[in-house]
This record gives sequence, structure tokens and C-alpha cells, in this order.
Amino acid sequence: MAAAALQPARAPAVGVFWLFVLPFAALTAVFGVWPIVLSIQTSFTASASALKPSPTWVGFANYLAIFADPVFVASLWRTLLYTLLAVTSTIVLALLYALLLNSALVGRGRTFFKLAVFLPVVTPDIAGYVVWRWLFDQSFGALNIALAALHLPTFGGLASTSTVLQAVLVAELWHHLGFYVVIFLANLALCDKGQTEAADIDGATALQKFWHVVLPQLRPALLVNSVYALIQYLKTFTVVAVMTKGGPNDATNFLSYYAYQLFDQGRYGEATAMASVLFAIVIVLAVGLMRVQARGTGS
Amino acid sequence: MHQAARWQKILAWSVAGLVSFVCLYPYYWMLVSSFRTSKAILASPLRPWPETLSLDVLREIAMVGGTPLWRYALNSLVITGASTVLGVVVTALGAYALVRRPHFWAFRLLRAGFMVTIMYPYMLLVIPVYIVMYKLGLLGSYSGIVLFLALGPIQFFLLEQFFRTIPKSVIEAAVIDGATEVQILFSVVMPMAMPVVATASIITFLLNWAQWLPVLVVSRSPDTYTLPVALMNLNGELGVNFQGIMALSVLITIPVTLFFLIAQRRVMSGMTAGAVKG
Repeated sequence: MAAAALQPARAPAVGVFWLFVLPFAALTAVFGVWPIVLSIQTSFTASASALKPSPTWVGFANYLAIFADPVFVASLWRTLLYTLLAVTSTIVLALLYALLLNSALVGRGRTFFKLAVFLPVVTPDIAGYVVWRWLFDQSFGALNIALAALHLPTFGGLASTSTVLQAVLVAELWHHLGFYVVIFLANLALCDKGQTEAADIDGATALQKFWHVVLPQLRPALLVNSVYALIQYLKTFTVVAVMTKGGPNDATNFLSYYAYQLFDQGRYGEATAMASVLFAIVIVLAVGLMRVQARGTGS
Repeated sequence: MHQAARWQKILAWSVAGLVSFVCLYPYYWMLVSSFRTSKAILASPLRPWPETLSLDVLREIAMVGGTPLWRYALNSLVITGASTVLGVVVTALGAYALVRRPHFWAFRLLRAGFMVTIMYPYMLLVIPVYIVMYKLGLLGSYSGIVLFLALGPIQFFLLEQFFRTIPKSVIEAAVIDGATEVQILFSVVMPMAMPVVATASIITFLLNWAQWLPVLVVSRSPDTYTLPVALMNLNGELGVNFQGIMALSVLITIPVTLFFLIAQRRVMSGMTAGAVKG
């Protein structure tokens, strides 16, 4: 009865909320939903007519064309492999580092260590990557000079197809890791200390405590971090644009970068078809991950 | 037992110290190199301090790609500032409405549309946005760049998360007192939301300051380029100007670094807020 009485009072109020939401809705529609629809639509048209009012429809021709393009197929596999590598190393390293910073061992140093690892997150990525580009340089880079001074073998860096993915990954980890560390730290702060103490009394080893007590409580951060990292590494772009231009020999020519190059050449149909493929992968993987996680928590 | 704790502590500090060194060294190298001539950098790349503390490099990068440096700097300030103010106001109003009327079908549809937008690979969203800007006649305009940069996921989640925590009783009390929704927003909700709005503004500023691809794609000439786009151009030029690149990187990095150090707690908790609890 009370709820029913509230209904009429609420109905007129939606009008005002419409007003509040209008600018946000306009921006989302014009610079979000419309471009996405347009992109999907463009992927079914011929590139030459894409910008014209009545484009030529070509059905799935662009999709067939990109899957017949060996550069694209190689780029797709490369992107997936790199994403797998990058997401795994990001989650593992961020988790280990968060556990270290959360332990009593670092004590008062925590504030500084946290700042140091987070600073690159807010540093404009271009500025960071131009520096890394030169730190990796074969002859003038700090990294190889330091390695040589320590009589260690030199690192191929960006010049060699066998090391360029690692070099790009290091630069990306430098830029992104702090974000994931801080999310893990926020989750660790919410963990139930009583459970760990109870495990201590039961005589559990450090590894047992981590596996059976801490890790299950870190589920929220693990889920969020995996989804964020997945979306972020699938669209790896700036690091490639700054450091390698997709090279050497296409070794870092990831999907986003290849699609953007085609767009730059005016091949809109194929570029947007690639965008759709990447979008589909992001949606399937992200939703799949959330499903798996939801089932795991038994909710 | 005590002995073990001691070497564990030393190990922990060493690991954290090494990680921090790797995180911070690029800044140090960037700063030192910005004072050294390209020739000197190539001759001894690891020199820990510059030969001279001259600011001559500023004259060298006074023009980048035929456009004066101050123009890029001014563009950066104007575009980042305008997109931050617009973005936070628009997103705050939108998120507030979506939280207050979460079951209204049109609002649910809008939220879904926004979610899809932020899931779409950002770099590839820029391609169709170019077509949209072309159709709206916004290519090459400041308004086109500012409008596109105004929309972002982190400020939305941060504000939405906050509005959800406002107790229903607070709003109901205001309704009983006869306040209109506009009055509730401005005299009840907004005063409470000020700290979150400040955090959202700082974060949006930091993120938009770093943007380059949308600026590059929507622009028609260097007249609307920001500092990161100028750096991108300098980085791509033949006959690499090490010193210029490093000096420009320093110019881009210093303001956001200071901003971050001053507001570090807000930025770190804000960027990760809602992620775990939400």
C-alpha cells in the first residue's frame, strides 16, 4: 500500500531526471553508440563509398577479405598470444607485489613503494614510451650498457623479432602495473584478519594460508583485474605506435595497429571489419570471464 | 625466529627497492637527458648528471613541425581543462539520474549503451568517430575534440559508486520537507558529493592530459594539436632529436606528476574505487 502510494509522486519526477541525463545521453549516443553502429555498418560497405551518403553494400566481402589476408590472421594470433602473456604476467606480478607491500615486512616504506609503482600509471603513456624506446636502444640504451658492465649477455630489445614482444611488454608493465597492484591492495585491506589468525593457530604454512585463506577472498580483485587487463591488452596500440611501428618484420603488428593503418590508407571497410572482430573477441572473453567467476562464487 | 624476520625484511626491502628503481629510473634519465645535447647523450648515455644546466633546448623545440610550442601547451591546457569540466558535470548529472531511477527502461538502455561504448576498443572507436565528426562538420574543431574526450569510464564509475552510497533516508527526508528534485540535487546531494567530484576532476584531468590519438584524428592541422601529439610527431621525425624529445617529455610529465603527488591518496583510491566493492 505504501509502495503504491509512492508511485504517483515518483512518476512526474522522471521528467526532471530526463533533463539531468540529457547531456550524458547525447554524448553517449553521438560519440559512443552511433560510431559503433556506423562502424559495424561501414564494415559491410565498400571502402571507396564509406563516407558517401549512399554507400555500396558488399555483404560480408570485407570480412572474407580480412580473413584471407595473411597479415591480418597473423596479427590476430599475435594479439591473442600477447594478450595471454601480458594478462598472466600482469596479474601474477601485481598480486605478488601487492602481497609484499601488504606484509608487515616493508612497514613504513609502503607509502613510498606504492607511490613509485603508481606514478607511471598517471604519466602520459607517450612520454614514458619514448624514454623506454631509448633505454632499450641497442648501442646507446642504458639497459644494454648496464648489462655489458655486469658482463651479462645483451638484450636484443626492439631491434630483434625474438625480443621485441618482451621489450614492449616490459614498457607496458611499467605503465600499467601500479593500477593492478593498488586494486589488489584495496582488496587485501578488506580481507578478514581473523581467518588468517585462525589458520595460524591451526598451524597452516604460509603457502597454505595464501592458497586457502587469502586467495579466495581476493576473488573480486582477481575478476576486476582480469577483465580490465584483458580489455586493455587486446587493444594495445600506443606502445607500438611510439616504439616499434609494428616492426621489426611485423613482430608487433597487433590488431589495433594494423586496423588503424588500413584506416589511415582509407580502407575503411576492412578497418571497421577488423574493429568488429576485435570487439567481438573483447565481449566474448570479458563476459565469459565474468560468467566463470560468478559460477565460482556460487552466487 | 628473530634472525629470520631480519633477513626477510632485508629481502622484502631489496625487492621493493629494485621495483621502485625500475619505476622511477626512466623519469631520472628523461630529466638528465633533457639538459644534455643529443651528441653528448650518444657519447655517454649513462652519465648520472648533465654537463650543464642550460635551458637552450627550449629554443630548439620552440617550434615543432612549424607550429610554436606555446600553441601546443595552450591547446593542452584548454582542451584538457574544458573536457574535464564538461565531462565531470555531464557525467555527474547522468550518473546521478541513472542511480536515482535505475529501473526506468530508457535509463537502463542508456547505461547498457555506455557499457558497450567503454568495452569497444578505444583506439578503433576513433575510426568511426572520425566519420561522425565528418558528418557533424566538427573535424578540425576544438569542440569536436573536447566533446569526445568528455566521456570516460573511470569518472562515471567513481561518481555512480558514490551516488549509490547516499542513504535513501536522506533524500526521503528532503522530499518530506517539500524540496523539489532540483533543490535536492543542489542543496543536499552536491554538497555531499564535492570531495568525489574533486577526485573525479583530478583523475579526468590526468587521463585527458595524456590523450593523443583522438586529438590527432579529429584535428585537421597542427593548430589544434596538444603536447602529446607534438611529442608523437617529434618522435616520428627523421634525424632524431634526443634532447628535444626528452625535454618535451619532461614538459608533459611535470604538471601531471606534481598534480598526482599533491593529490596521490585521492587519485589512487579514486581510480580503483568501485572496482573491488562495486
